[in-house]
Amino acid sequence: MAAMAKVTEELALVERFRQGDDSAFEEIVEQRAAEVAALANRLLGWPGDVDDVVQEVFVAAFLGLKKFRGESSLRTWLFTITVNKCRSFRFRRLGRLRAVALNEAAALESPERSGEKVVLDQETLARVRRAIQVLPQKYREIVVLRYLQGLEVSEIRELLGITDNATQVRLNRARKRLKAQLGNLLEE
Amino acid sequence: MNEEQIKRLFTEADEAAGEPTFRCITTAGIRRQVRHRWLVRVAVPTSLAAAVALAAVLSAISVHTEGPQVQPQRIVSLEEQVKQLQARTDATFKLVQEVLERDRQDRRLAALETELASIPDPVKEIDRQVDKTAFILIYQADKLYRELNQRESAVAAYKEVIQLFPTNRWAAVARERLSQIEQPRINKSDSEKGEPKWQPRNT
Repeated sequence: MAAMAKVTEELALVERFRQGDDSAFEEIVEQRAAEVAALANRLLGWPGDVDDVVQEVFVAAFLGLKKFRGESSLRTWLFTITVNKCRSFRFRRLGRLRAVALNEAAALESPERSGEKVVLDQETLARVRRAIQVLPQKYREIVVLRYLQGLEVSEIRELLGITDNATQVRLNRARKRLKAQLGNLLEE
Repeated sequence: MNEEQIKRLFTEADEAAGEPTFRCITTAGIRRQVRHRWLVRVAVPTSLAAAVALAAVLSAISVHTEGPQVQPQRIVSLEEQVKQLQARTDATFKLVQEVLERDRQDRRLAALETELASIPDPVKEIDRQVDKTAFILIYQADKLYRELNQRESAVAAYKEVIQLFPTNRWAAVARERLSQIEQPRINKSDSEKGEPKWQPRNT
């Protein structure tokens, strides 16, 4: 019932926007910008500043919202745009990202062994993030959407435009790769 | 490790990376970006294409006029076409310039608004300074009385706070200190019992 009300509310917002009410779009931005930024940040490997991608996502949403038919939720629709924008953004910045990744790898290979728990925890968490970051795109996306965005398999299927079976297969393979990267961390 | 544990580990790693940052998104800003894209993708190429077409027509006219069998009607028609193309190009250029100018103005306005937003409220700033000054005076007076045992100077300083900043919260503190300093004097003649709350530390 609540989901139904949410869908109706979203469609009402879209309708208001179609009729030229800009404040409807600003409401959508207010509701979804943080989620979109979080997803972009995760998909791009936690760079922190995701302003360019977020702006691109909302420009695309602004241009495409009039064609939004409500077949999926507005959230899923925005996430689809974000995933696509992140793909092209990552492709454009591939060289730079590789350099950053190599630097990070070097930094992780020679950690300072201070013996303090806090430092070790931060190292472990950075290792986890890096393990996700170096996954191939199709696995990284599915891991981020499933475990960090908390989407259901059906939503991921809809968002990525793949079958249920393909979603499960990708998830299993992503988990295997992560296990190989993180070893004991995922076996405990 | 089950799904929940993986999720927890990844969420922890994600949270440790901190929140992402991005600028505030407004419809006006998005419209500006859309207009800019339109300029880059449509208006400028169209203008260039029109200019190229104009050049081609002019070149064709010059070739025709040099030829031996030039028909006056054809020349008039081509000249008409050239004029039309020129007018269209001029209009497009004008539009491009207008849009660019508006875009520049919008950006300037946005920059000025940001600058304005970053300037602190002068009234609040003055209040803050007043509060700080009163606090410093109280602090010095406390020091004079408690550590240096200079009662008269301290009293003068407390009175100064009350006089200069009568409505400030530190004026109330100064009044309280004065009453505490004065209290032992009044009580002294009555009896020696009881220590005053506020008295020099090294007496």
